[in-house]
Amino acid sequence: MNTQSNVLSVHNISKAFGAIKAVQNVSFEVHKGEILGLIGPNGSGKSTLFNCILGQSSPDTGEVYVNGKSVAGRPSHQLNKLGVGRTFQQLSVFPKMTVIDNIIMAGQEHHGTMFSRLFGASDAGLTDEAEQLTEFFKLDHLRDEEAGSLSYGQQKLLDAAMAFMAGPGLVLLDEPAGGVNLTMLEYLKDRLLTYNREHDATFVVIEHNMEFVMSLCTRIIVLAGGEIIAEGTPDEIRANDLVIQAYLGG
Amino acid sequence: MKPLHIFLFAVGIAILIALPLGQKTYIVYVLCSWLIFSIAAMGLNLTVGYAGQVSLAQAAFMGIGAYITALMTMAGVHWVFAATASVSTCFVIGLLLGYPALRVQHHFLAFVTLAFNTLVFLVLRNEEWLTGGSFGLVGIPRPEFGPLSTMKQLPFYYFALICFLVSAGAMAWIIRSPWGRAFKALRENPIRANSLGLNTSRMTLLAFAIGSAFGGLAGAVMAPLVQFIEPGSFALVHSLKILLMVVVGGAGYFYGPMLGAAIVVLLPEVLRFTEGYYLIIYALLVIVLMVFSPSGLFGLGKKLADRLRPQRVERGDLKQGSQL
Repeated sequence: MNTQSNVLSVHNISKAFGAIKAVQNVSFEVHKGEILGLIGPNGSGKSTLFNCILGQSSPDTGEVYVNGKSVAGRPSHQLNKLGVGRTFQQLSVFPKMTVIDNIIMAGQEHHGTMFSRLFGASDAGLTDEAEQLTEFFKLDHLRDEEAGSLSYGQQKLLDAAMAFMAGPGLVLLDEPAGGVNLTMLEYLKDRLLTYNREHDATFVVIEHNMEFVMSLCTRIIVLAGGEIIAEGTPDEIRANDLVIQAYLGG
Repeated sequence: MKPLHIFLFAVGIAILIALPLGQKTYIVYVLCSWLIFSIAAMGLNLTVGYAGQVSLAQAAFMGIGAYITALMTMAGVHWVFAATASVSTCFVIGLLLGYPALRVQHHFLAFVTLAFNTLVFLVLRNEEWLTGGSFGLVGIPRPEFGPLSTMKQLPFYYFALICFLVSAGAMAWIIRSPWGRAFKALRENPIRANSLGLNTSRMTLLAFAIGSAFGGLAGAVMAPLVQFIEPGSFALVHSLKILLMVVVGGAGYFYGPMLGAAIVVLLPEVLRFTEGYYLIIYALLVIVLMVFSPSGLFGLGKKLADRLRPQRVERGDLKQGSQL
């Protein structure tokens, strides 16, 4: 199987918790520059699949490739070094650090060696880059505020900004729209689309907000009972009877 | 560094230089103790306050540092080499002690480090052939640097002050470097930090190793100060005392451990006029502080400063209303 042309390749991933088969033989590819949506009702296996891809849970069977490299069993920091960024379902910033420090932290491990970071500049030479990113996510007016003092939506934006700081080729976004108000949601979508366009970055998005995911993604995979039940463009998914059944329980 | 900071720093150094002048030997001895415990507490502050780990073993590292320095200097090795050996050994042992922190956290980790402190105490007490057992080691020489001797209390104070300033400088350097940011990230959200490329296992081990190395240096200065060491000086109760210094001063604040060490070392001396009641008063003061300001004296100061400061005219984002 050619895994080189795909940014992410997932092959026959299965994961069970006791008798519960959370994910069963799931395979899919994500191409460069694509925004793939991963949707499904609660308990469909989305988060388990995400955890298997990100190395936070070991799949019982199957393989995950990033840019053709097997990443099975690699810890998160190594995946990040391979160009995989992520956001979290729950707010995940460093609350006692300022916005700019949060963003510098998100990039500093990609600059220099461990020892050069000890003896080099305190900002690892990243202040300009971090400031550009705060501007891009309209957080520049909050530059020196503690991240914990920001509103929920602002922290979600900061979370996204941190995922992009190291210039990842692949970003996995776990419910980026969760708990975010409509105005902020539009803004977040605009930023994600702009970043995708400008950097040809690849996204995989888990999301419950159908409006958001349908307008953001170019392709959508639907999971139910741990299996892929549908795959296609947003319009194809909207019209798919299996998907409607899975969501409405018909 | 802002001019105000440089000015305050210079004033601080001048006070530290002038502090022992005209004082009695005992007062100078107490000031030396404060400097030494400040070094140990600074190290523990990195492990506990900045990196968010738990350690109840700092006195054990002081003990290891003190015994290595004592044994080497008594064998004729110069203090500089003995102290280097103490610091290096504590760094390596701290690295090893950090391994359990990769598997257990919080009170479980506290028990692991507590057990380590007890283990070190037992080794120091039982291995008489090396450590002198309960009788300890007597006659530890004070360092000499060419014509400069530290045999008298005042020169020793300045020697301890130099060690303290070098330690504080090294700690400030670490905290302001990207390592400092990584330690804070490790404390605040290790899972997120790991997802951003930080090798959290390595930073956890480093937090223990560096913190322990500071403990080793404190022990290396302590040995020639007291010139007699015995295992009881490095028992668990002393680790709790160093932890108290960090917590009372303010964990995660650079000057917190220095203030905490001043309170823990100097306050009992100040309260000595109350005779039998001084420990009770001291304990009550600590309890009141912990109840009203768990972030220590620096945390309390920050809270007060925030309250006294005029409310910010308008935070940037509020200008935009609630749209974000």
